[in-house]
Amino acid sequence: MPHTRNQWCTIMAEGSKVPEELMYNKEHEWVKVEGDLVIVGITDYAQNALHEITFVELPEVGSTVEANTECGLVESMKASSDIFAPVSGEIVEVNSQLEDAPELVNEDPYGKGWMIKIKPSNLDEEKKALMDSKAYAEYTESE
Amino acid sequence: MAEKLKRTQLHEWHREHGDLVEFVGWQMPVRFTDIREEHMAVRDAVGIFDTSNMSRFIIKGSNAREFLQTLTTNNVGKLNVNRGHYTTCLNEHAGIHDDLMLYRVGDDEYIWVTNAVNGPKIHAHLMKHAEDFEVEVADKSRDITMIAVQGPMAMSLLGKLTDQDLSEYGRFTCNRVKLAGYDCYLCRTGYTGEDGAEILVLDTPFTEEGKKRAIGFWEELLKQGETLGVRPCGLGARDSTRLEAGLVLYGHELNEETSPLEARIPYAIKFKVDPHYIGYDELKRQREEGVQKTRIGIVMIDRGIPRDPYPVLFKGELIGEVTSGVMSPLLQKGIGLAYVKPGLVSSGDLVEVDIKGRLRKAEVTGWPFYDPEKYGASRGV
Repeated sequence: MPHTRNQWCTIMAEGSKVPEELMYNKEHEWVKVEGDLVIVGITDYAQNALHEITFVELPEVGSTVEANTECGLVESMKASSDIFAPVSGEIVEVNSQLEDAPELVNEDPYGKGWMIKIKPSNLDEEKKALMDSKAYAEYTESE
Repeated sequence: MAEKLKRTQLHEWHREHGDLVEFVGWQMPVRFTDIREEHMAVRDAVGIFDTSNMSRFIIKGSNAREFLQTLTTNNVGKLNVNRGHYTTCLNEHAGIHDDLMLYRVGDDEYIWVTNAVNGPKIHAHLMKHAEDFEVEVADKSRDITMIAVQGPMAMSLLGKLTDQDLSEYGRFTCNRVKLAGYDCYLCRTGYTGEDGAEILVLDTPFTEEGKKRAIGFWEELLKQGETLGVRPCGLGARDSTRLEAGLVLYGHELNEETSPLEARIPYAIKFKVDPHYIGYDELKRQREEGVQKTRIGIVMIDRGIPRDPYPVLFKGELIGEVTSGVMSPLLQKGIGLAYVKPGLVSSGDLVEVDIKGRLRKAEVTGWPFYDPEKYGASRGV
């Protein structure tokens, strides 16, 4: 057991939705560009694997984050998992509904379960590291 | 990778019905439906757990008592036939080599049930010392399936599997009984805080026939328990129920560097024993001179779940770290166990848990975390 927070490494996953219009990273997060902002959440695959989500810790509005660094936490009955910032920038909004209703992430991971909005500082460059839906679907199958 | 993982006799059933995960080298179900649902079935009705990943050793011989007293900390001399007790096995420095249930099933015959993670280590330890005492140690883990039946309706469920009156078997007894036609040991013990039993289903080896028998027994429990609200439970509910009860888990609260005095499991250790067990002198010294750390319970006041190994602070000073944590389905709060420097905090004190750089308030408590008048084996007694 390398990390206690991953005390149970999932080795099976159910079929899960991968919307075509989004981009993805290897941490099973989705990224949606909307105007000059980026919306971030975790994928259907991730919420399936974590199952009953009990708590979401989000970064503070106004703070800045670096791409691929920890900026939050998702807790489920099964395991605890870090949220990584998929791109660098300033946190302009977080989904405060998740404080009282973390289960929204299970119910609607691409909609009401969104987590953070970032004003990106280097999107054009960092976008290149993200996967499209096809590449991400293949990635989840290979995991 | 998945090929190398060990499996229990019930694996085929789990694969079909459960969410399988890796746990200390074993492929086991973490849940069948929802962990919280399974957890509440154990608190309100009955849940069944496959615990066959634990090791089961049968120890026989006229010197078995002396052998076991040399290796374990509870008083083996006071363990009567058809009874079991919780105990620990120490190293020379009084660190915990393992914690276990020891059942006496005959004058000179005992069953040692050990943690999955420690199976090979303990087998080697037993074999090493067995020669000196001329006792026979047989690893029966692959011949016996082990299923825990836990919850306020557990004994009602088991009662449906036999014409025998099971009420004569009180807590911590261990008797050979026929359940649903299967030859079993009914051990009135468990790891959830609730009433119930751990059943050793004999003659269920890793053959097609043996596995079919094991699954047959498991399905019989589900069938007979349907009207009682039975649920198959996975490792998730096993961890959350044991934590709510404040029970320790090897690899988290217990390890080679932690003594049973530090773990605060006094019921597992005795000092008036003969012969003295390995680690006795050091444990006695600790009792007289004091311990290096002590186990506490914590309940989160702020949001968040204490997890291993988050730091614990008191008045701004680092005093220890969390060893286990979970969102308690009963309390709807994060609960955890932690080790801290002794003598600094007691129940009711406020501490802070450093959850990834954010300090979150928590209260120091004892265990169990639930109200023992409403939940657990002694409810309503």
